[in-house]
Amino acid sequence: MTKSKIVSVDEAVAEIPDGAKVALGGWIFNSQPMALVRALIRKGARDLHLIPAPGSIAPDMLIGAGCVASTVCVFISFEQFGLAPHFRRQSENGTLKVYDLDGPAIAGGLRAGICDLPYMPVPDLGTDLPKFAPEHYWPLPSKPGDRRMLAVAAVKPDVCLLHAQQADEHGNVQHLGPPFFDAMIAQASRRVIVSVDRIVSTDTIRRSNHLTKLPSAMVDAVVEAPFGAHPTASPSLYRSDEAHLKDYVRSSASAETFGAYLDRYVRGATSCAYLDTIGGSRLAALAVSETNLK
Amino acid sequence: MAANPSLGETLAVLLARDIADGEKVIIGTNSDIQLAACNLARRLQAPRLWWISGPGGMVNPTRDHLLSTADYENLESAESWMDLPVMIDFIDWKIHFFDFAILSALQVDRFGNINTVVVGDQRKPRVRGPGTVGISALCGLAKRFYVCLTRHDRSAFVPRVDFLCGAGHMEGGDSRERMGLPPGGPRLVLSPLGVFDFVPDSKVMRVRSISPGVTLEQIRDSTAFDIVVEGMPPVTTMPTDHELALLREHVDRRGDLRRKFP
Repeated sequence: MTKSKIVSVDEAVAEIPDGAKVALGGWIFNSQPMALVRALIRKGARDLHLIPAPGSIAPDMLIGAGCVASTVCVFISFEQFGLAPHFRRQSENGTLKVYDLDGPAIAGGLRAGICDLPYMPVPDLGTDLPKFAPEHYWPLPSKPGDRRMLAVAAVKPDVCLLHAQQADEHGNVQHLGPPFFDAMIAQASRRVIVSVDRIVSTDTIRRSNHLTKLPSAMVDAVVEAPFGAHPTASPSLYRSDEAHLKDYVRSSASAETFGAYLDRYVRGATSCAYLDTIGGSRLAALAVSETNLK
Repeated sequence: MAANPSLGETLAVLLARDIADGEKVIIGTNSDIQLAACNLARRLQAPRLWWISGPGGMVNPTRDHLLSTADYENLESAESWMDLPVMIDFIDWKIHFFDFAILSALQVDRFGNINTVVVGDQRKPRVRGPGTVGISALCGLAKRFYVCLTRHDRSAFVPRVDFLCGAGHMEGGDSRERMGLPPGGPRLVLSPLGVFDFVPDSKVMRVRSISPGVTLEQIRDSTAFDIVVEGMPPVTTMPTDHELALLREHVDRRGDLRRKFP
């Protein structure tokens, strides 16, 4: 029997050094690893290099809290609530280095990382992306008449932070909804940290093993974090908290109001205190039931 | 018919009319108009349209209202569910797997190139946009694409995009082919002011039809390049009572298009 991989949220992020390349899973308002992100901010992480899957508040909050030196941008958006406020401000101030990558560069880059290859070939799609991220794209030699090809550099995060719905103590992680880029990110990362809304028995895992998108061999640490994706959704368990997301965008208007937001929800708060601050009736209303199906 | 169509409803209907039965399409994130167009087409001339959620991999979920394509609730009515590591092969590499995609943008230029990355310099932009995700591959590899904008002004319709993240007709003429991209490119651009296509040889954007009540002067004043006008373009055929009824009863029952794009 393997040793349990369950650790506390603070233990999980304790050994992430400043300057680390940190990948973030989920998709926009789904499964952002927020409990882990808040722990990383509490710890005072600095100079991180982010590699987010298409995301929203996870990269944006780390950027706003001053933890980030550079970020890859595949897509960072608050959709109906506008552009990501801190990502936008620090980019426009020129204080945040942004590596714009397209789908082929992140997908090919992760695949190269997974396969221990230095790069993957992708077709040259005629964009301006290589001009602004030559570290990630370079031309490959081609014979006359061949298609023009680019190499996209292997993407190998030092650590990734993911959120899923359930796992057992051995680190068999189950996604009850779409896994998005999580499995590729996990395979490409040197260390894989996953928060889940609940720990379940190995028997429960075995009964629905087709849902195990991350087998235990791919996972280093599991954190039990109920509502750990809040204010984003955890598919099948709870919906995104639109009121909180709007509040976050409003709070991001100035350094003072954002400082107050971080004090209230992040810096002063353990994961339990966070849930108390959000409030039981609020969380209950987000939990998926027949009455709040979209 | 009770109310007039909203902008979002009109754009969805105009796009739906251009879709053929049996085509394959991908719908990305935050895509209410795109989703409405595809589901309406399935109710009309294209019952065997095949669409897949870009983020979630669900195929042909059947809903009578608009739901984010990433939402897990699409699972229960989807006919298949693919994981992204499988999908990336036909999204990011395969030529002409998709017949079309419908894309939005911060800027579109006179040759139909699009920009969702930055206005200004990427290193210190005036406006930092959300990024590229699948747009480069869909513009480059799908058989055709549509650009659907809910605003039409000189900051959106520009001579040249500040950052090209989706290749249209590149520098015009045969430059897209010379770049080595497979046949394709933008077919139509839709905006509140009209519908636009591209002159066959030069590949410069031209007015195809004008929204009711809009003048050519208005279009010229709102476009920061010389848009081609041949003769007097017709007025766009607005949604019929039948199209609007299907849209409101079977596609967008909750009126999201009316609320978000009035």
